[in-house]
Amino acid sequence: MITITIDGKKISFERPVTILDAARAAGIHIPTLCHHDILKPYGGCRLCLVEVEKVPKLQTACSQYVSDGMVVRTETEKVVDARRAVLEFLLINHPLDCPHCDKAGECELQDLAAKYGPAMGRFAEGKRRYPENLEDPLIVRNRERCILCLRCVRMCDDVQGASALSVTGRGSKSYIEPFSGGAYDCEYCGNCLAVCPVGAITSRTHRHGFRPWLMEKEVETVCSYCGVGCSLVLQVRNNSVVRSVPRSGLGLNRGLLCSKGRFGYDCLNYGDRLDAPLMRRNGVLERVTWTEAINCIADRMKEIKRENGSDAIAGIVSGRCTNEDAYVFQKFFRGAIGTNNIDSVAGMAYGPAQRFFEKILVQGVTANPIQGISDSDGIFVIGGDPTAINPVLGLQVRSASKKGVPVIVVGHPGGLKRYSKRAFIMNSAAETVFLAALVDEIKRRRPLPGERPVLEEIINGFRPAPLEDASKMSGFGPNDLVDTAHALSNMSRPSIIIGRDIVQTDTGHMNLLFLAALTYLLNGRIYLLSELPNEQGVLDMGCQPDMLPSGRPLTVETFRKRCEETLGIIIPPAPGLSYAEMTEAAHEGRIKALYVMGEDMVLGLPDSNYVRGALRNIEFLVVQDRFFTETAKYADVVLPALSWAEKEGSYTNLERRIQLTRKAVEGESIEEWKVISEISKTFGLHMGYRSAADIFSEIARVSQIYRELTLEGIADGKSVWPYRGGPLRYDMHTEGTKLPDIVSVMEESGMSGVHVRREAHLFHSQNASRYSPALLSITPEPHLKIGDILADRLSVKDGDRVKVSTDAGSIVLSARRDPCLPDNVVLASTFDGGGIFEITKWRVNPITKAPASDVNGVVIDKEEAITVLHKDRADSLVGG
Amino acid sequence: MNSRESVLLKNADRPGPAGIDEYGEWGGYRSLHKALSMEPGQVLDEVKKSGLRGRGGAGFPTGMKWSFAVADPQTQKYLLCNADEGEPGTFKDRIIIEKNPHLLIEGMVISAYAVGAASGYIYLRGEYPKAKDILLRAIKEAYEKNYLGDSILGKGVVFHLHIHCGAGAYICGEETALIESLEGKRGQPRIKPPFPVNEGFSSKPTVVNNVETLANIPYILEIGGDEYAKIGSPECPGLKLFSVSGHVKRPGVYELPMGVTLREIIYTHCGGIRGDRKLKGVIPGGVSTPVLLPDTIDCPMDFFHLGKVGSMLGSGAVIVFDETVDMVKVCLRITKFFEHESCGKCTPCREGVSWLRAVLERMSNGSGRGGDKDLLTEVSNNIAGKTFCPLGENAAAAVQSFVNNFGDEFKEKIKSG
Ligand SMILES: Cc1cc2nc3c(=O)[nH]c(=O)nc-3n(C[C@H](O)[C@H](O)[C@H](O)COP(=O)(O)O)c2cc1C
Ligand code: SF4
Ligand code: SF4
Ligand code: SF4
Ligand code: SF4
Ligand code: FES
Repeated sequence: MITITIDGKKISFERPVTILDAARAAGIHIPTLCHHDILKPYGGCRLCLVEVEKVPKLQTACSQYVSDGMVVRTETEKVVDARRAVLEFLLINHPLDCPHCDKAGECELQDLAAKYGPAMGRFAEGKRRYPENLEDPLIVRNRERCILCLRCVRMCDDVQGASALSVTGRGSKSYIEPFSGGAYDCEYCGNCLAVCPVGAITSRTHRHGFRPWLMEKEVETVCSYCGVGCSLVLQVRNNSVVRSVPRSGLGLNRGLLCSKGRFGYDCLNYGDRLDAPLMRRNGVLERVTWTEAINCIADRMKEIKRENGSDAIAGIVSGRCTNEDAYVFQKFFRGAIGTNNIDSVAGMAYGPAQRFFEKILVQGVTANPIQGISDSDGIFVIGGDPTAINPVLGLQVRSASKKGVPVIVVGHPGGLKRYSKRAFIMNSAAETVFLAALVDEIKRRRPLPGERPVLEEIINGFRPAPLEDASKMSGFGPNDLVDTAHALSNMSRPSIIIGRDIVQTDTGHMNLLFLAALTYLLNGRIYLLSELPNEQGVLDMGCQPDMLPSGRPLTVETFRKRCEETLGIIIPPAPGLSYAEMTEAAHEGRIKALYVMGEDMVLGLPDSNYVRGALRNIEFLVVQDRFFTETAKYADVVLPALSWAEKEGSYTNLERRIQLTRKAVEGESIEEWKVISEISKTFGLHMGYRSAADIFSEIARVSQIYRELTLEGIADGKSVWPYRGGPLRYDMHTEGTKLPDIVSVMEESGMSGVHVRREAHLFHSQNASRYSPALLSITPEPHLKIGDILADRLSVKDGDRVKVSTDAGSIVLSARRDPCLPDNVVLASTFDGGGIFEITKWRVNPITKAPASDVNGVVIDKEEAITVLHKDRADSLVGG
Repeated sequence: MNSRESVLLKNADRPGPAGIDEYGEWGGYRSLHKALSMEPGQVLDEVKKSGLRGRGGAGFPTGMKWSFAVADPQTQKYLLCNADEGEPGTFKDRIIIEKNPHLLIEGMVISAYAVGAASGYIYLRGEYPKAKDILLRAIKEAYEKNYLGDSILGKGVVFHLHIHCGAGAYICGEETALIESLEGKRGQPRIKPPFPVNEGFSSKPTVVNNVETLANIPYILEIGGDEYAKIGSPECPGLKLFSVSGHVKRPGVYELPMGVTLREIIYTHCGGIRGDRKLKGVIPGGVSTPVLLPDTIDCPMDFFHLGKVGSMLGSGAVIVFDETVDMVKVCLRITKFFEHESCGKCTPCREGVSWLRAVLERMSNGSGRGGDKDLLTEVSNNIAGKTFCPLGENAAAAVQSFVNNFGDEFKEKIKSG
């Protein structure tokens, strides 16, 4: 026990804390500037100097730790003089241009000057002057205002791990600059500007358009970009979101955000929002009233149901829908239409992966706290770059790596490049063989735990590829493989991080089995990367062709019956079609009516031309969305939707944490669930909900897992799996799981040509970012990442236009040489009008039902014509 | 010259560096043989007994520093030699390296043995390219003779030595900034604690010693710690190199016992003031130490006594000013140096020193304003005691000492303006 006296107050601590923390605990305020709770002590500004008895010099409270018997004084004459001196030094070169400065009103220096106001005016030497730097589209640097606290640099280095910023120059000529010079070449997390205490780094998205004291309200909610579910605060003025900020201590992101959470809120204010229903009349979409639209939907659906049966109708929800909207959607389809043809984007990879792991390991096996990643003793990443897909989760991997935890990546390491011990990039068939060989090597080094006989039988029985063949296919030496297996075998509780591209490939089902085996052998914790904010939620709500809103299979009669009784509806006993199957059925004319809520199928599904064909074949297409999407172009009725900031609801993140999303602004539309209930009414199914909370309480009644939960109750963000109830136990049949024949994989898919794989992009992976001018301004055009050898062979330089073609189509991209890539793999991302899905051939894995996101045998040619996509949208961003 | 045969300055008056054979002929590396026949703890004891204090400026007892590193339970340790020699007026380490590099190498091997370090770096001032070549050759020779390597003298003792060249920042002479720089980061001092002896290079226990400190080690082993402690001042004994510059007849580096007076240095060893003019002031230990008036030059030169007259021994760089010197200009020049070298990490040094320079500049231009002398005092008081590292502190102390000792000259600058 350490007892200290601070300004006469005695206070004790179990462990040494800084004098600053001790003072705070004692309710004593010590002014600080370079200190920030997220960052390590720096001791640079010298504002927090205090007197410590028996120590001749003043000590910095932020960096000095207490020791037993220490006597600290924070308000002596000496301390007050020092404070005044330091503040004077800080201000002599400060422009004090508060009226022009976006930070005014929330500037720490302004507050300090107001509070401790030093005698001004004896500095007569002329302040340092520098022009503001406006070279970057999103971040403005003002060197005059900088007090060199280095919070930004420390944030970028130590927390974000991007190391994009540094101090340049020395002494009074020091200044902050990104290594790239003018514009930033970084991850644009904006965490640097969030910690800048003054107006030296500010966001351009609300430049000169925002005064903190004019803000009308602040709403705590959850980010709607990815499955991490970061907490953020939306600041509102005139019914419009003017800024989104994290708050330290709030949520699992603890004060951090990524580029999407920070800058992507501007899609809320994007000009082309849909604001009225549209209906196709004589081939043209025209504005109609809600009543007209709803009546039309009811009539046409009833007609199709009558003529073609319920199963000619299907529904797709987006992973961006709230739990409440998703729940009501599936209830409408099951109870009113009478079909189980319901699925979501989560049905492509996240869902099948989770289902497989739960089946073979245990239910809830993917529900692991994100914070746990940095405490694991090893990390295995496959199928996607966590720092791009789930950026704030990715920070955990970096932080583990900094502590010396080995990180092994199969696939492009992306943002983990400097943080991974090894990265193995190859084509997808080789990946499967590589994984199989790893499992085999690990099996020889680690005894089987003896807990899951079925799985052990599979592991024991499988015939791996000979090491030499695995090595030949992957392009890595047998020793690389053996060493990696060895490194993995030494981990006792690793995190296994799995992205969706390992599922969305021809051998996806095998990959899942090998990953389950790996997890089992290594006692790993699985993290499924989730590219949308509510993939987990829409699965849990029953937006799956074979699952009830309870995580239970509808084919089991007792479960189905219980659900029917609780809800007073009849649920068809046979499973419906999956997302990919629906698309195929639409193509073949078996699906006549499709209701798509929030999903842009043309951009979201591989093989855009195939999808366009399917949509064209649909007799009656309803699209409910915020924007007039590519899919909406084919619709017969388009309904405007609300954004997540315009309604109440909940999201379930990839940890299976249920979090509240709050309404921040009034939207120009009606909640999706309300619209669906109206349609449902015409089918005789009255839902009668008055609020999202009503829906949530029904969900809690329907599913054992949510027993006793309420929408208000989850507001603390602490509702994590397995919630109030325990995990459900029931027999998940594993007989169907066949032993993959790895040798035949090798024989069949040699994959000799160039293979294109999807790169989940940090700035524009999913469709919402298309409506964010801020995010588009960072990368206004799509890229092809190409290895040096291949680029040299094709004489392709950085920035050259290249045409990438397959039999499915072709796209023109700007080349980016990437020294990590081998000569048989190139990367492209999904992108409006030039994404990889324009050229991927429609292939659906028969077991996982996942459509493949990669394609082999592409042809790359240099292109002469220059086209820049989206330049107009990027330019519409607030000017300088 | 003193009667004792030079130890640190051996070979200083001859052209070129001493090679390993020559060094051997003088009895070189014999202390290493002796050290390796002892336990590391015994070597440490000899150094403790010698009373040796660091020659880099701070005067920290070397044996004590080593024992902290020895006490740290981590097994991987480092020995760093601070050869950044950036303090204006100081040019003593360079002589050792350029004339007798094996003395430093031998000192480092013995020290590394005592503290348990298996690898070491010499952080060499960037402006010493010749010293670099000489050191590289000497290190190669030492490896060939098995004085460095995986089993030194066949006794299984491991020590590898590398050179790292600085890039011209004075602050990188400060030990924690030196470590940052060696790790490839921006040269800025670190928060202490943790001290380098516990968390230094690569977060491992690290001993940082000055070139001259390390060059004393073979001699201490040769004559024994007790014997060494008898040299010079009883409070801080030993041999000391003084780099003397300014208005003396014979500037240069002198090897003298600790405790020699400034008067002896200036008038006996250096032959007095140039042109037999009057002495106006003297900086005893490099520009980081406060300037002294002629009435204090009988003070013994050591860490203990100089403190009593308001200055410091620093690196032992004696800078002598005769009566013709404009002390405001000197003060400005020194302040410009500190302004230029301030790393910018802490507010008082970054902002305060450049403020001081601005005021001094206008004073020496003849456009000083009323109150400027007091302003200098106030601003330097506002810096003093508040900086992160001694650089800013020393800059303030230097200005204070000039203003206090030569106040009239400062006043005149205002009048004349
Ligand atoms: C601003 C500053 C510059 C310094 N420059 C040097 C230097 O050039 N050489 C040196 O040996 N020590 C220098 N020091 C002192 C070192 O920090 C450190 O105390 C010394 O290297 C320790 O070695 P010693 O114990 O052998 O003296 C400097 C200190 C400060 C604060
Ligand atoms: S935006 Fe993020 S990555 Fe870019 S410089 Fe700032 S902290 Fe670093
Ligand atoms: S830009 Fe802001 S955070 Fe960075 S050093 Fe300057 S004042 Fe501090
Ligand atoms: S990590 Fe995901 S949830 Fe967090 S801010 Fe980024 S996009 Fe939003
Ligand atoms: S006193 Fe401060 S600014 Fe000056 S050199 Fe030391 S740490 Fe850097
Ligand atoms: S807050 Fe302590 S030195 Fe800046």
